[in-house]
This record gives sequence, C-alpha cells and structure tokens, in this order.
Amino acid sequence: MKHYEILDAKTREKLCFLDKVEPHATIAEIKNLFTKTHPQWYPARQSLRLDPKGKSLKDEDVLQKLPVGTTATLYFRDLGAQISWVTVFLTEYAGPLFIYLLFYFRVPFIYGHKYDFTSSRHTVVHLACICHSFHYIKRLLETLFVHRFSHGTMPLRNIFKNCTYYWGFAAWMAYYINHPLYTPPTYGAQQVKLALAIFVICQLGNFSIHMALRDLRPAGSKTRKIPYPTKNPFTWLFLLVSCPNYTYEVGSWIGFAIMTQCLPVALFSLVGFTQMTIWAKGKHRSYLKEFRDYPPLRMPIIPFLL
Amino acid sequence: MAAVAATAAAKGNGGGGGRAGAGDASGTRKKKGPGPLATAYLVIYNVVMTAGWLVIAVGLVRAYLAKGSYHSLYYSIEKPLKFFQTGALLEILHCAIGIVPSSVVLTSFQVMSRVFLIWAVTHSVKESEDSVLLFVIAWTITEIIRYSFYTFSLLNHLPYLIKWARYTLFIVLYPMGVSGELLTIYAALPFVRQAGLYSISLPNKYNFSFDYYAFLILIMISYIPIFPQLYFHMIHQRRKILSHTEEHKKFE
Repeated sequence: MKHYEILDAKTREKLCFLDKVEPHATIAEIKNLFTKTHPQWYPARQSLRLDPKGKSLKDEDVLQKLPVGTTATLYFRDLGAQISWVTVFLTEYAGPLFIYLLFYFRVPFIYGHKYDFTSSRHTVVHLACICHSFHYIKRLLETLFVHRFSHGTMPLRNIFKNCTYYWGFAAWMAYYINHPLYTPPTYGAQQVKLALAIFVICQLGNFSIHMALRDLRPAGSKTRKIPYPTKNPFTWLFLLVSCPNYTYEVGSWIGFAIMTQCLPVALFSLVGFTQMTIWAKGKHRSYLKEFRDYPPLRMPIIPFLL
Repeated sequence: MAAVAATAAAKGNGGGGGRAGAGDASGTRKKKGPGPLATAYLVIYNVVMTAGWLVIAVGLVRAYLAKGSYHSLYYSIEKPLKFFQTGALLEILHCAIGIVPSSVVLTSFQVMSRVFLIWAVTHSVKESEDSVLLFVIAWTITEIIRYSFYTFSLLNHLPYLIKWARYTLFIVLYPMGVSGELLTIYAALPFVRQAGLYSISLPNKYNFSFDYYAFLILIMISYIPIFPQLYFHMIHQRRKILSHTEEHKKFE
C-alpha cells in the first residue's frame, strides 16, 4: 500500500493526499480519485507527472511500476478545458459541407440579387460540388466509423482555431467556384477528366489507408504497430512513405485545384500540404524512435523526397 | 504596429545574441549564444544598422534646418530609410539559422510589417508621403536605441542608459509610430481605390480576386487587437527588467 500526494506543478501547493492506494492501480484511477476532491478538474484535463517539468504519465501506467518511494509525489498541471476529438472533427468537417452548399445554391446576399438561387451553366461547377461534398461526407463517416483515436481529447481552443481554418477556406474556395463570373478550366473537358481521375484515385487511396490503419489496432486499444502494404494496391504506397494517407490527401486537393483551376484551392492545398508534412515528419520520427526495424526506404510524405 | 512589434519581441536583458522572442521567460532557456564568428558578424551587423539609422536621423535634422519646415523631409532620407529598413530582413535569416535566439515567426511578422509599410504603402502611393514623418521619427529613434542595445549586449558591456532608453522611450514612441502608420495607410486609401492598385477582379482564368483597398482596411483594424497586447507586454517587460537591475545595484 502506498500513499500519494498530488502537488501543483507550478506553485507546489499540496492539492490532494491519497492514502492506501492499491499498488495495481493505474494513473487513470488516481485521476478519478483526484476529480472527487477537485471536481472542476475532470480526468481529461489532468496532467500528472513525476517531475514538475517532466512528461505526463499515461493513463495506463501502473502505480507499482513507477520509480517512487513509499510516499509518492505526483505533480499536477491543468491542461485547460478539453473537448473530444470526435466532436472537433465532426464540427470542423460539417461546416465546409454545409457552407459550400450555401454558395453552390447561390443563397441570397452572397452574389448580386439577380443571381439568387440560380444555377451555374458549367458542368465542372456541378462536378466540383459533388467532389467537395463527397470529400467531407467521407471524412464525417470515417470519423464516426473508421478512425480509432489515440487521445480522447484536445484543448478547447483548438476547435475555434480548426473551424476558422476549415470553414474559412471552404467559404473562400466556394465563393469563386460558384461565382457567376467563374471561368472554366483552360483545357476544357480534358483537364476536368484528368483532374477528376486524380481526385477519385486519391480519395480511394486515402480511404484504403484509413482502413488499413484501423485494422492495425484492435477496438479500444492504443497499441502502435508498423503499417505494411496489404492486398489492396492503394496501400502499396506504404512501401515508400510513412503517411500515405496524407500523400493521398494532398493528391486529392491537387486534383480538385486542377479541376476547378481556382487559385484559392491551390493555396488551400499548399497550406494543407505544409501542415501535413509537419505531421508526417513527426509521425515518421516517432516510428523510427519506437521501432528498430523500421523500413529504411520510407520517407514521411513524398516518396524519395520529403 | 511595426514600431511596437520591433521593440516588443526583442526583450533580451543583455548577453547572448541580443534578441529574445516575446513570451520566452529568460530564466528557463539555455543560454548558448552564438559562436565567435557569428558574434563578430552580428556586432558588425548591429553597428552598421545603428550607423544607418543615425544617418537617417542626421539627414532629417539637416533637412529640417535647411528647409525650415516639415514638408518633404521624407525625400531627404527616402533612400537610406528604404535601404536600412529593408536590410532588416536579414534578421529573419539570423533567427532561422539560430545565431539569434528569437522566434522566426515573430521576427518575420515585425520586419515584414515594416517593409510592407515602406514599400507597399509609402512607396506605392506617393500621395501618402505627407503623413510619413510621424512614424519615420518614431522608428528612427527606436532603431538607433535597439541596434546599439544589441551591439553592447553582444560585447557584454551594456550601459544602463541604453537599457533604460530601450525599455522606457517606447512608452511614447509606440503610440507615435502606430499613429503615423495608421495615418499613412488612411491617407493612401482613396488613391488605392481610384487606381485599383494591386487589385485583381473577376473574371480571370485563375478564378481569384483581391481588393487591396479592403485589405488595407483589414490591416488597420488588426491594429486594434494587436497593438495593446504588444504595448502591455513591453510595459510588463519594463517592470521586470528595470526593477531587476535596480535590485542588483542595491546589493553591489
């Protein structure tokens, strides 16, 4: 039986003393006990560590295995209000889906009054609406049924940041594509067909990768394994990159940019590419750190290059 | 804001590469400092910049004494102003290669906002040049103090007067610079609208449009949230750094 005291990491104030805790107990259980005395700090908001400036302990960590004496000191940091990943994803993806349609149907007060509820005479504009809507519907469905999240929550301020980004860009792109003065692609139907093919292939690829990643991890677990190509040809990109889902995502948006020949779409693709490259490099680094036998040929996001 | 930002981010309290990013608590970072070659280069850079802004200051005074009025003083220092303010872009590089311990993002923001005002407003809209004097004076005084601060810090010989000046004069110079900048942008507006400067409208084959007039208005609005934050950050820094030095002096 051990005793645990929880101190504030910044002020060193004694916040809580837990005596007679079972040695097999996990950090998650300590967090639940801590919430009882401080209900405003629900478990998702708590960061407990052995050193005030150290790394957070994981919920699954067993107390017995921690390097402490008879009375252990845990330091607490408030992570701030938290929101679930699922909530954030659903909100940030539902926005663009809905917003784009407002522009597509030329709802009043966006374009001149004579254009209210009119329809574009360009086929590519209708096609673009289908592609954009499909993309976000796919994302929403994947969030609900496919993804297995490592973390339950993220800081609340992220939802404002993320929604501004997604919703803002969606409105900006949709405004031009659905504008009465929209100019269709220079190379006409050929350009549109090629770009559509790129888009569809990359969407299928992206979905294949999401499914492959899901199958790596059993439901409810947080295990991490090296992803490998499966029978699905789209997953063969794993031979060359660590995060083919991001590769396919960039490809989809490049396809969409070529299809609509719209500069704001190209800029959105560029910004997205930059962010995904940062994530891919991070993921690649963690794979290398965690697995000695990680395939050396793989690059983070672009085969052989990046 | 360009005036405010430039002093706000650089809160170094002596020693090392000189400029510390806003938000970094000086106590928690490892003071590594640039190597001897980098230090030599930075000293030269900061000396040259100090000299450059002194040239601008002297130029202003001489032109005023010669002409007897404030009109067209800008033209007398237009070239060195453009040269030395644009030269400050190097500071982004310094942060990027790590010889100055500042945030690349913050430094880019500061320098780009200055460069934007010089080239995209003052240079591009000749008619805005009358309002320019207010921020030019504010920037000149600020930069002379700032660059000499860095020079002395790098040589580990910072006179208290320079430190005091850096953390005190901003109280007047910030609002002065910000007012000058806003007045200049405001003066440029009607001419931008008239000429359709830097603007592109539909239809075009890239399906893109940009209204520089609206953009300038957005820039002016952005001063409202940004300026107070930077200003009060400097006030906070002032309290921390100047009182810290006072205490040290008491114990000597």
